Amino acid sequence: MNKPAKTSLVGRPAPLVDGIEKVTGKAKFTGDLNTHDALVGRILRSPVSHGHILGIDTTHAEALDGVEAVITGKDCDKTYGVIPIAMNEYPMARDRVRYRGEPVAAVAARDAETAAKALDLIELDIEELTACYTPTESRAADAPRLHDNKPGNLEREVHHTFGSTTDGFVEADLIREETFDCAEINHAQMEPHAALAEYDAERDRLTLHSVTQVPFYVHLTLARCLDMDSSKIQVVKPFVGGGFGARTETLNFEIVTALLAHRTGGKVMMQLSREETFLTHRGRPNTQVKLKIGLAKTGKITAVDCEVLMSGGAYAGYGLVTILYAGALLQGLYDITNIKYDGYRVYTNHPPCGAMRGHGTVDVRHSFEAILDRMARDLNLDPFTVRRANLLQAPMFTSNGLMVNSYGLDECLDKVEHASDWAKRKGKLGKGHGLGMACSHYVSGAAKPVHWTGEPHAVVSMKLDFDGGITVFTGASDIGQGSSTVVALAAAEVIGIDLARIRIVANDSVVTPKDNGSYSSRVTFMVGNAAIEAARAMRAKLIDAAAELLDTDPDSVKCEGESFFVQGSSQSELGFHEVAIAALAKEGTINVKGTFTTPVEAQGGKHRGGAVGSTMGFSYAAQVVEVSVDEDTGQISVDQVWAALDCGFAINPLAVEGQIEGSVWMGMAQGLCEETNYLRGLPTHTNLTDYRFPTIEDSPPIDVQIVESIDPLGPFGAKEAGEGALSGFPPALANAVADAIGLDANFLPLTPDRVLEALIKLRRAKRRKEANT
Amino acid sequence: MTEALPQFTLVRPETLDDALIALQATPDAALSAGGTDLIVRLRKSLVGSDTLIDLTGIKAMNSIDPNENGLRIGAGVTLDQIEHSDLIAQTYPAVVKAAASVAGPSHRQVATLGGNLCLDTRCVYLNQSHWWRKANDFCLKYQGDTCHVAPKGNRCRAAFSGDLAPALLVHDAEVEIAGPTGFRREPLGDLYVEDGATHLTLEPGEILVAVNLPASIRTSDYEKIRVRKTVDFPLAGVAVACDTSQEPPRLWVAVTGTNSRPFLLDPPDDPMLSPADEAFFIALQKQVQKAVSPQRTTMIAPHYRRLSVAALAVRLARRIL
Repeated sequence: MNKPAKTSLVGRPAPLVDGIEKVTGKAKFTGDLNTHDALVGRILRSPVSHGHILGIDTTHAEALDGVEAVITGKDCDKTYGVIPIAMNEYPMARDRVRYRGEPVAAVAARDAETAAKALDLIELDIEELTACYTPTESRAADAPRLHDNKPGNLEREVHHTFGSTTDGFVEADLIREETFDCAEINHAQMEPHAALAEYDAERDRLTLHSVTQVPFYVHLTLARCLDMDSSKIQVVKPFVGGGFGARTETLNFEIVTALLAHRTGGKVMMQLSREETFLTHRGRPNTQVKLKIGLAKTGKITAVDCEVLMSGGAYAGYGLVTILYAGALLQGLYDITNIKYDGYRVYTNHPPCGAMRGHGTVDVRHSFEAILDRMARDLNLDPFTVRRANLLQAPMFTSNGLMVNSYGLDECLDKVEHASDWAKRKGKLGKGHGLGMACSHYVSGAAKPVHWTGEPHAVVSMKLDFDGGITVFTGASDIGQGSSTVVALAAAEVIGIDLARIRIVANDSVVTPKDNGSYSSRVTFMVGNAAIEAARAMRAKLIDAAAELLDTDPDSVKCEGESFFVQGSSQSELGFHEVAIAALAKEGTINVKGTFTTPVEAQGGKHRGGAVGSTMGFSYAAQVVEVSVDEDTGQISVDQVWAALDCGFAINPLAVEGQIEGSVWMGMAQGLCEETNYLRGLPTHTNLTDYRFPTIEDSPPIDVQIVESIDPLGPFGAKEAGEGALSGFPPALANAVADAIGLDANFLPLTPDRVLEALIKLRRAKRRKEANT
Repeated sequence: MTEALPQFTLVRPETLDDALIALQATPDAALSAGGTDLIVRLRKSLVGSDTLIDLTGIKAMNSIDPNENGLRIGAGVTLDQIEHSDLIAQTYPAVVKAAASVAGPSHRQVATLGGNLCLDTRCVYLNQSHWWRKANDFCLKYQGDTCHVAPKGNRCRAAFSGDLAPALLVHDAEVEIAGPTGFRREPLGDLYVEDGATHLTLEPGEILVAVNLPASIRTSDYEKIRVRKTVDFPLAGVAVACDTSQEPPRLWVAVTGTNSRPFLLDPPDDPMLSPADEAFFIALQKQVQKAVSPQRTTMIAPHYRRLSVAALAVRLARRIL
C-alpha cells in the first residue's frame, strides 16, 4: 500500500479520542462505577506457600451480621487458564495451595469493615508442605511435585535447532558465552485490579465489568467456571488504567466476583488492594539466560546457542507461550542461520508469572545485545558496525519461519547514531560517563491466537443512521494505548469524513463484535485493517448514493473532507448529509463490517510451537543511552536517551511518540530498579514504596524518531509501536555502564547495591591480576 | 481499594494545653500531623490505638522564629516550609537539603518536622499488611515475639528512617518537649535510644513541640542513599557539618537509616590527622563504617548501606571542608 499523503487525517498528530474524559477526570474506571446496592467482595488468601487444605471452616464468618455469602474452592471445581491445553488453576484453591496469597475463600458483605471481619473469622486448616522458591530447589531430585502431572516441576521445555550451530561455531573467529540473571518484575499498572459483577437470578444473566485487556477471554472463562451458557453473560470493559499484559489472562478475582454475585443473586464490587494486585502477579519471570554467540571478524553472526530457564511461579498461566517467545524472537531482528534454543519453564511456589510488555523477549534480548557489544569490543569493531553486519533483507522468512515484509532497522541505526553524535562521543565522555546502544523488535500481533477457532482475527462493524452519525463498534480494548483513536482515524480517513463524525463504541459484549483483545501489539495491525475494510464498505455505499445523485458512475466519485464530487468536473459538490439521506433511503440504517485474517504464510514455521512469534510484521528499534555512574555508591543516572522505532507508518505520530517514550521508560525501569522480592514466598514489594519504578526525577529526556518502512500488509503501512523499543533499553544501559566504568554487568536490574558489589569484585580481580603479573 | 481505614476517634485541639489534656485522657492516642506515614500504618493495622490527636490546629507549633540564641522551628512546620525557608537555608543548609529529600513534593506539603523526627522505625517485616504479618507470625515490634531480622537477639532492629534528624544533630539541635508537668529541653540525640520497638524517649503524655537551633557558623550538607532520586526512604543518610574557623577545622557527622536511631558519631580524633591529608578521609570512612550497624531491615544488603554511607560521609566532608 502506498503511504498516504500527510495532509490527510492519518499521519498527523491527533489527541486521543478519549483523552478529554481522562484529563478532566470524567472517565469512569471500574472502581468508579455505580456501587449502589453493591456488596463488598473480599478474598481470603493462603498464608502458606505450599500445603494441603485439610479444611476451611466458614461457619463463624457466615454467622456474622452483614455477611451475605462465603465461598471457597468447593464452590467451583472448574479450572481456568489462558492456554486451553494448560488450564491448571482454580479461582480459589481446592485441596492444594501453591503460593502465599493464592485465593482460598471469599466473602460478600454489606461493607468493607464487615468483609474484613468475616475474613478474620474464616478458619483455615492447612498442612504445610515443603516449598520451592527457586528453579534449583524445584529441579532438585527430592523436590516436592507442585503439579502431579509435571515431573521435575518442569512446566514446559522447548528444543529448537535451525541450521547447524556446530558448523556455525567452526566458522566463527570469536566465540563468547555468558550467563545472565534477570529479576522478576511486575507491570505495576496505575489502576489496581477491580471487578463489578451483577447476577439477575430471574433471567439467569450475569454482567461483569472489569479491568481486562481481553474481555473475550473473561467471557469464555466465566461461562466455563460458572457453568453458564455464554449467551447469558455480558462482559463490559470500562476505562482501564493500564494493562501491560497483567490483564491479558482472565484473573482469579474476576471469576470470584462473578461467583459471589451468582451466590448472592445481586451485585458485588471487588476492589483489590495494591498488595493484592501485586499478589495476582502475571509479570515477567525471573529469567536465567545462558548464551553463546559466534562472530566472524566482520561482526557477522555465525551461530547462536541459547538456553533459557524461567521461574514461572505456581501455575501454567501463559508460561508455555513465554518460553516459546523467548526462543522464537531470537530471530527476526538479525540475519541468523545457525541457531539452537533450549528453554525450560519451571514451577515455583510464587505467584504465577504471565505476559508483560515485550512478552518473553526482553531478558533474552538484553543478554544478546550485551554480549554482542562485548564481542564488538573484542573484535575492535564499533557496536553499530556489528549490528549493520547482520541486517535482514526484506521481504524474507527467517530460518524459523517468521515472515519479514518490511525492515527499517538500518534507518533506525542511522538516526540514533547521528542524533547521539555517537562517532564523536562514544568512549570519550570521561570516567564515570558512558554511551551504550542496542537494538530490539517486537511482533505486530500473534499471527495465530491461542484460542484458534478459524474465525477472522478481527471484526469491526459500522453503522450509519438517520442522524448522519457513523458509529464504529469494536471489541478492541483501549487500555490507554490509543486503540480506539486508531480505529476512529482509520475509519474517518477511508470514508473521507471529519473525525468528529465518528463515535467509537467499544468493549461491551452485547453490542460490539468479538475481538481477540489487546495483547501482543495486535490492535493497530489487525483491528486497523478490519476498520479500513469496514470503512471501505461504508464508503462504497455512500459513493453509490452520491453517484446516483450526480448521475455518474461510482468510480468517478470522490469523497474528501465530507464533500462528494466528480473528479475533474465543475459539477456542484454534495454535502455528507445529502448523500447519507440518499443512501439511507435505499435500505434504511446501514450496517457494514470489515474483517482481518492473517495469511497462512504469516503463521510461523511448521515445527512444534512454531506459531508463537509469528506475526504480520515486526517493529524495529535502535536506541542509544547515556549514563553517569557514581563509583562510590553504585548509583546510575540516565542522562539522555535517543530512540528510533520503525512502526511501518505512524497513523497517529503523537500516540506513537508516547508509546516509544513509554517503552523506553518501562525498559529503563527494568534496567535500573524494578524487581520483585520474596521472603520465603512472602512478597516484600507489594506497595509503590518498595516496588521501585522510576520517578520523574529519574527520567531522562528521550529523543524520539519515527522510521516508516511502510509494511505492505499493514493498515496504511503501519506496524506495532507499543513494545518494540522496550527490550533495547536494558542492554543499551548495561553497555553504557560498561563504557562508563568498565563493568560488564550480567544482572538486571542494575541497582546501586548490585553495581557496587560487582565493582568491588572487579577491583579485587584487577588487583589480583596485577599482583600476579 | 487500599486496606479499609479502621474506625477511629479524631480529636482536634486548637491549643497545646488542650492537646496535652486530650493525651492524658487517652494516653495511648496516636499523635497526627501530616499523616503521611500514620495513615498508611493505620490502613495496615499497625497503629495500636483508635484515637488520633490531630496537632495541625495548634498555631503555636507552626512557625519558624529567629531569636537571640538562634532559631526555633515549630514541630508543626511542614517540610515544604523548611525546604523553602531562606532563614534556615542561610545558616543550616543541611536541614533544608534533608527536608527537600523527603518523599515527594505532595508529601512535603503536609508532612511536618515533628512527624519526621518522631517517624516510626521501619522494617521489611513490619511495614506490611495485616495478612502478611499474620502469615509471618507477626514480629517483636508489634503483636509478635520474634525479631525476624535477628531472631536470636532480644530487641527490635527496625531502622529509623527520618531525614531531618542527622541534619539537625550536626547543628547541635535541642528539642522542646511539653508534658503534664511542663516543658523540658534536651539535646536532640537524647530523644532516641537504640531499640526499634521504642526508639523515642518521650514519656507518656509528652508532645514534641519545637526544635531549637543555636546560632551557627558551621557549613553543612546532607545526602542519602536510595535507589530512586526521590520518594524513597533513606537506605542510609548522612549529614556533615564543619567549622572552618577552627584550626584544624572541626567536623560533625551524623547518620540515619543505619540503626534504630539517628546518631552523631565521632570523627577521626587523631591529632596527627589533618583534613588536608588523604589519610584523614580514609580514617573518616573507616570510622563511619565501624559506627553504623545496618541490619536486614530492607531487601538492600546491610553491607551496601554501610559502604555507601561511609563513602557519602567522605564526599560531604571533602565538599565542605
